[in-house]
Amino acid sequence: MENDAKLKLFLNIALVSGIFCLTVALLLLLNYMQMTKNKPLESKALTSLVKQLSQEPNSDELKQEIRDFDLLARKAYFNSQWQVKTGGYLLLFGAIVLAFALRVIIGLRSKIEEPDILDSNEMVGRLLTQRWVLLTGAILVILGLVASYASVDHLREYSVNDSSPNLKIADNRDKIEVIQVGQAPTVADSAKTSSVKPTVSLGSSLPVKVTQAPAVKVSFPGLAEIKSNVPSFRGPFGNGVFYQKETPVSWDAASGKNVIWKTPVPLKGYNSPIIWGTKLFLSGADNHSREVYCYERNTGKILWKQPVDKIKGSPEAAPKVTEDTGYSAPSLTTDGNRVYAMFATGDIICFDMDGNRIWARNLGVPDNHYGHASSLMMLKDKLFVQYDTNKSRKLIGLKASTGQTAWETQRKGKISWASPILAEINGKYQVVLSTDPMVAGYDADSGKELWSLNCMMGEVGPSPAFGSGLIFAANEYAKLVAIDPVKNVKVWESDEYMPEVASPVTANGLLFIATSYGVIACYDAKSGQKYWVKEDGTGFYSSPVIVDNKLYTFNTAGKMKVFEVGKTEKILGEGDAAEKVTTTPAFKDGRMYLRTPKFIYCIGKK
Amino acid sequence: MKNWIKLTLIFTLLFYSLAGVAQQQRFPKPEFGTGYHQPTPVTPEPRALVLEYSDVVILLIVLSLASWLALRKRSRKGMLWLSVFTLLYFGFYRNGCICAIGSVQNVALTIFDPGYAISITTLLFFLLPLVFTLYFGRTFCAGACPLGAIQDLLIIKPLSFPDWLRKTLGLLPYLYLSLAVLFAATGTDFIICRYDPFVGIFRMDAPFHMVILGIAFLLMGMFVARPYCRFLCPYGVLLNWMSRFSKWHLAITPAACIQCKLCSDSCPFDAIDYPTDEKQIKNRIWGVNRFLFYALLIPIWILVGGYTGSKAHTWISKANSKVYLAELLITKPEVRNDDKNLDVQAFLSSGKSMETLVNEASVIRHKFYIGCWIAGGFMGLVIGMTLLSQVIYRRKEDYQPDKGNCYSCVRCISYCPVKK
Repeated sequence: MENDAKLKLFLNIALVSGIFCLTVALLLLLNYMQMTKNKPLESKALTSLVKQLSQEPNSDELKQEIRDFDLLARKAYFNSQWQVKTGGYLLLFGAIVLAFALRVIIGLRSKIEEPDILDSNEMVGRLLTQRWVLLTGAILVILGLVASYASVDHLREYSVNDSSPNLKIADNRDKIEVIQVGQAPTVADSAKTSSVKPTVSLGSSLPVKVTQAPAVKVSFPGLAEIKSNVPSFRGPFGNGVFYQKETPVSWDAASGKNVIWKTPVPLKGYNSPIIWGTKLFLSGADNHSREVYCYERNTGKILWKQPVDKIKGSPEAAPKVTEDTGYSAPSLTTDGNRVYAMFATGDIICFDMDGNRIWARNLGVPDNHYGHASSLMMLKDKLFVQYDTNKSRKLIGLKASTGQTAWETQRKGKISWASPILAEINGKYQVVLSTDPMVAGYDADSGKELWSLNCMMGEVGPSPAFGSGLIFAANEYAKLVAIDPVKNVKVWESDEYMPEVASPVTANGLLFIATSYGVIACYDAKSGQKYWVKEDGTGFYSSPVIVDNKLYTFNTAGKMKVFEVGKTEKILGEGDAAEKVTTTPAFKDGRMYLRTPKFIYCIGKK
Repeated sequence: MKNWIKLTLIFTLLFYSLAGVAQQQRFPKPEFGTGYHQPTPVTPEPRALVLEYSDVVILLIVLSLASWLALRKRSRKGMLWLSVFTLLYFGFYRNGCICAIGSVQNVALTIFDPGYAISITTLLFFLLPLVFTLYFGRTFCAGACPLGAIQDLLIIKPLSFPDWLRKTLGLLPYLYLSLAVLFAATGTDFIICRYDPFVGIFRMDAPFHMVILGIAFLLMGMFVARPYCRFLCPYGVLLNWMSRFSKWHLAITPAACIQCKLCSDSCPFDAIDYPTDEKQIKNRIWGVNRFLFYALLIPIWILVGGYTGSKAHTWISKANSKVYLAELLITKPEVRNDDKNLDVQAFLSSGKSMETLVNEASVIRHKFYIGCWIAGGFMGLVIGMTLLSQVIYRRKEDYQPDKGNCYSCVRCISYCPVKK
């Protein structure tokens, strides 16, 4: 083939491939624009159909319509993807042919050219280069300085107080009312209870103090004072035994029988009430906010409520927790001078009895697949935190006055949801913890592990109990064990009835457990001999407690049964909260205080 | 001989089939009864180690071949076909990754981040071209770089650029290198890879703007030969330095230059130095004074550059996702309620506190402060040295390649009438 013919051929090839490339490129561009405009996967029609479905969840026609629409949208999307990919390959092929044809054309047309004359103005060229380089340097400097003055370092402006705007308490939560229950209504009067008038509307007048209280030296309560109050979960030392008299054995929430008052609790929480003097403390939280409440024990009025926010290190968003654990499962603790609360976020906070914030810190967000649940415990100037996470297990002793860490003991074993108790052994207080695989005692002053016995397994929820010189621990699918903490030996064990959540309780040489499958069992504390078993039918999450030689139990349906603490089964009374009960009641001055999902009740003889 | 070829082929097939077995997923992808096939990921899947080493071996072979073709064989055709192979293998088959150009960032990150360890193959991809360049000139650019190859094959009618424009645009690779190292060292991003204009073409998949950028580069490359290599490639900066000291560099003529000037227009990259015009040196309009002035200015350029960089660090550090997120949450706290902002939602669900995020962002910003001082100082040094180089004269007798900028593509050789 001659050069001219070759040239003509390749010119035609170049022309055809050029037009081909242009067409494909144009089609790709159109496809892109169409996809950008329509966005089939983000179809508004589909979104509106899905919204409609939330209103009509049982509409099969709607479901089918959504499925059809979704399929159509996906088809459109993947069709477009296929077109882009195929178009891309076609364009590449066309471009290769075009480039090849152009190269051949250039080659065929090329002639031997006369070499250029040497640039006679090299000096001018160099001068020009210097000017342009200088100009470029100047432009870079100017751009750098403009960027400097146009940008603000917002990180430097940040302070802890700026954070967490989402922690504001919603207005409607402030409208807390205390419901004064009428004169011992009968069951027939129960309908009237719904029309009881609020006596106090606290509204926004609630004292929300943010001031820090001045540091004052506090004195620690004595044993008698501790025993006369409810300083922690399950009473003094967390042992489930209350040193009170003349407590009520019957009540009824629906009819108001023996209900002295009931007050709504603003935010949800599975922590149980603690009491000091005339003040009762609770906490509540959701995934946006955390709060501590102080109620007047005799009237049910909220004396103060305080937000738990602006804490350095507190996570921006609450960690994931399960519904039945929530964000404020740990019960509070108090020494009569101050009250301490902890949440699933790892926030721990201290208020004085008037609601002034003393200190707050974040221990780190607990990596806990249900949510942190271990309650706080304290003795003198030490606040004990069973900080169990999936990553590490610790018993932390905080200085109660400042929140600083006094000591920290790394523990072996697995994560636990049980709470610490205090046991006086050989004249010294020990913090006793139950976890998989061991029950262990730690020196309350130093945190040093004093003894440990491998006898537990599984996800331990029930806390231990101490009495008759023995430590009792149990967990479902593990065992019920009695341990001699002095000799560090197992005294007896049983695998017949074991609790899942409710803790054992012991008094007068007897041990009681309440299981999640509805069995209450009584054992001889020293020998493990089983005395009686009561099959309730409904399970127990609320821990049984002993008051005035009476065993108080609440099943999850809210039914209360009071047994005599004895070797034979004897029911002394019954009550009904008429709603789910998973918390443990507190007792003070002849009255029982019980938290339900929405209310805090005061029950006693009127 | 034929047996030897057969054996090699069998061995190669066996090697790749075994390697294929080695790189199978530990947990196979599920199969769907509906016939649905999982789409291939946009980024290349992890490669079996044995194949990674085979990439190094292939790079070594290609580099050796390119050096042999440039220096001994002096074959443009051979180099062309080698670059076609490189384009097909390292470009379209290996999807442009692993790549010596991007490896600069891996090296930077491994130096500055003790938690990151560079793989031996990446390190070799970084070092081998440099070592070869130190001995044979930039033969890597000629035959072993897929980015160079795709541009080189599309050169249609290259335009010659005046010196001042080439020198000025020649500052860009230094700036790009400074930013790439800064961003890699601070763990911000691998911008060379992210903004590689050709990787989308190699993978036939890229964001739209990158596709447009790639096509724009290729179209531009028809008339401005290898625009990316000459005016952007950060690895080219290092290769340029090495090539200046190369032991055996390509020469246009195999014997004495007869000053025929035929090669003067042969280089599409303007990388041929002409013989020195003695008259111009004698009549130069500046002398030692300007040299001293520019030499003394260098420390000032470094300081000014460093200072400017340090002042700009706040703005530059916003490119870091953590810094950006922290500032976004500070300035627009309402963004926490934006469910569609995945970065914000991921942070919120991490359980991390705002203080932790701000502290981490502040640490990164401080790294940027130091890094911007260094990067700015480096740019100042580059500008100072470029100015100084404009008042230095080196006598050149013949037409010869500019060792720093020559890609050893062997085009010029065919223009030389001296063959032996």
